[in-house]
Amino acid sequence: MNGYAGNILIVDLDDNSTQTISTQKYVQQFIGGRGVAVKLTYELTPKNIDALSAENVLTFMTGPLTGTLAPSSGRIDVVSKSPETKLLGGANAGGFFGPELKYAGYDGIVVAGKAASLVYIDIFNDEVEIKDAQHLSGKGVFDTVKALRQDDKDTQVACIGPAGEKLVNLSGIAFSIRNYAARCGLGAVMGSKNLKAITVRGTGGLSIAMPDQLKDIAEKMRECIKKMPSYQEYPEWHHKLFRILESDSKSFFGNYEDTAWKERFEAYENAEQFVKRAEFRSETCFGCPLRCWAYINVKDIGGAGIAACQGTLTSLVNFTKVKDFDEIWKAYLLCQDLGLDISGTSAITAYAMDLYSKGILGKSDADDSNLVFGNGNALLSIIEKIARREDLGDILADGVKKASEKMGKDAEKRAVYAKGGLELWLMEIRPFKGVALSCAVTDSGSHNRATYGLCEFYYKSMRKQAKAVAKNLVGTEEAAIPMKYEYKPKLVAIYENSHILADSFGVCSIPFMPVGLDLWGKAYTACTGRETSSMDLTIAAERIRTLERLFNIREGLSRKDDTISERLFNEPLKDGAWKGEVLDKEKFDEMIDAYYSLRGWDQEGKPKQETLKRLGLE
Amino acid sequence: MEKMIVINYDKCIGCRTCEIVCSLTNEGRINPAEARINVVKHEEIGTNIPMLCQKCEEPACMAACPMRAITIDASLGTQIDYSKCIGCKMCILACPIGGVSLHPTNKKIIMCDLCQGDPQCVKLCPEQALEYVDISTLPLKRRREGVKKLAKFLEDIRT
Repeated sequence: MNGYAGNILIVDLDDNSTQTISTQKYVQQFIGGRGVAVKLTYELTPKNIDALSAENVLTFMTGPLTGTLAPSSGRIDVVSKSPETKLLGGANAGGFFGPELKYAGYDGIVVAGKAASLVYIDIFNDEVEIKDAQHLSGKGVFDTVKALRQDDKDTQVACIGPAGEKLVNLSGIAFSIRNYAARCGLGAVMGSKNLKAITVRGTGGLSIAMPDQLKDIAEKMRECIKKMPSYQEYPEWHHKLFRILESDSKSFFGNYEDTAWKERFEAYENAEQFVKRAEFRSETCFGCPLRCWAYINVKDIGGAGIAACQGTLTSLVNFTKVKDFDEIWKAYLLCQDLGLDISGTSAITAYAMDLYSKGILGKSDADDSNLVFGNGNALLSIIEKIARREDLGDILADGVKKASEKMGKDAEKRAVYAKGGLELWLMEIRPFKGVALSCAVTDSGSHNRATYGLCEFYYKSMRKQAKAVAKNLVGTEEAAIPMKYEYKPKLVAIYENSHILADSFGVCSIPFMPVGLDLWGKAYTACTGRETSSMDLTIAAERIRTLERLFNIREGLSRKDDTISERLFNEPLKDGAWKGEVLDKEKFDEMIDAYYSLRGWDQEGKPKQETLKRLGLE
Repeated sequence: MEKMIVINYDKCIGCRTCEIVCSLTNEGRINPAEARINVVKHEEIGTNIPMLCQKCEEPACMAACPMRAITIDASLGTQIDYSKCIGCKMCILACPIGGVSLHPTNKKIIMCDLCQGDPQCVKLCPEQALEYVDISTLPLKRRREGVKKLAKFLEDIRT
């Protein structure tokens, strides 16, 4: 099968059996990656099960472009029922695991059942073995990866840290020591199966339908990526994302408290100084010219060098207001090693700090640590406690929504989350109506899985580009204005489709729109030999989107669940560029009406019969 | 030898595009195990070093070959004559840097042939970590780069 490996590996940990099924029957409707993973999850997950029971399945899926010459093609999508939201949960990771899995002969892995004791799955081409991993119990990601690479340094490893083993809802799945399928608590799902890791080596490679055409198209795609305005700046985003968020007026600090924290510039400066004295080298994912990653090492701090991610370092600073970047770097390393979702962990730490500073959480609740904003030691200690479910960490480990429900009415009022209780990403959303809508209607994760790079994001700093993109997508420049409710449903639907296609092709969503659907479609045809069109692909995206919705409806979701926390509707921004902005309930509801109708769903958010028929989902 | 592929390992970002385009060009399919070049990664210390046949002037592979299947082409360096090669793998054992490898399925010996003078890995490298350089200009080019490093060092000790 050109472009695809052709098989999906099914591992049942209940009886240690393995089998393969053909990828073929899924690709026409669901392409690959996220699409096929959602389809398999829908088929294999019984209704209303406990996400941490043996009945849940965990699916890793690459796409037809993963591991090919198409740029930015290192992605793998992971889908399961989420223990945090109790809805469909998904996360997508870059790195090198996805390509290696395909070279070993598999487009994906479905893990079902639960092992009697801690195990790992070892894959070398068609040899698949389930091996004892008890010696890795409680080990961090760094040691686990090192141990599993002892015999072959080119082995790719997916694993969980102690947080996943302890079933922490904020735990992710690490791919080597760097990339993460971080969100929705998928690490806990892996932990609940007693699965510490999956290792893979593949030497089989992939057949390509039209190699020469692929080379030509890939070269054009790379040129588009190099023309992206952010391309030149990317290698510095780790320490400069602060200022980029600032220039777009997207930053907030603490627990969505203020947007003009006085000491922020000192914090930014500290980050820049830290990087200046570090050993620093640009890194990237498979096949990608973007260099989002950087290897950073400062002797004597954190005990290790590691490749750093742009968003998550910023997230730790802005949420917790810790100015000392040495402490932030230690926190980053700790989260990476313990197997935590840094977005969620920094959000919940800010939440706990907020409750403590308002006296909602007492000194005894905080285990006598001075849990105030800016305290680096408190940050490090709470990260450890969350990962090991100790003391206050045990409550926080469930995620912000569940934790707030346990801590009483006053605590509930301070909680901020997207649909289902998932912590938001690191940007303020009250002025950004499109993002807010996206956080409410999304069905498998927060908006960084739904509408990455929405043009209202960069309206302040790159107004001309934002307007041009909006005009091109929905016919009017006004759609780019963050505060406008009009046109946002359409814009969100278009971005969602684009994100779904990136995740289903097995490529990164960052360069997806700048390169354009036409070229991705051509690369798909060159790899697989399958003819397609932008129209076909858009219909596939709609189909995948609607199947995500069907999964959640089966779980009991209805329109009332399509919302975000109350605070964002009744607490206007106190300061900054968007002072006074808040979400308007009525207009928000109108956006949801319009969004449902664009998707062909009824006013309860249920796909109409004619939509199911049109999409072949009856 | 007039030109060679120079590895600027400090520029490599580890994307492995060189491996992919190499196997696609030479084998018509995608497989790092069939590529003539591989990026050797040490994630824990953040290094990415592309490794391939360096086209030695006195090749150990050639000396070790019992069939005289490896010869030196004036412009492309070491070449394998597959009509003579018996697949004994002595060249792989003899090469001190892993420049020669074995095709995982058809078991043929594989070695970079500089794409007959138009190396595709160099063309697609997004960071110019690989360069196809006239050997006669190489020493001075390297010295210029060396001076840049020295300048940085002098600046560092001054501050």
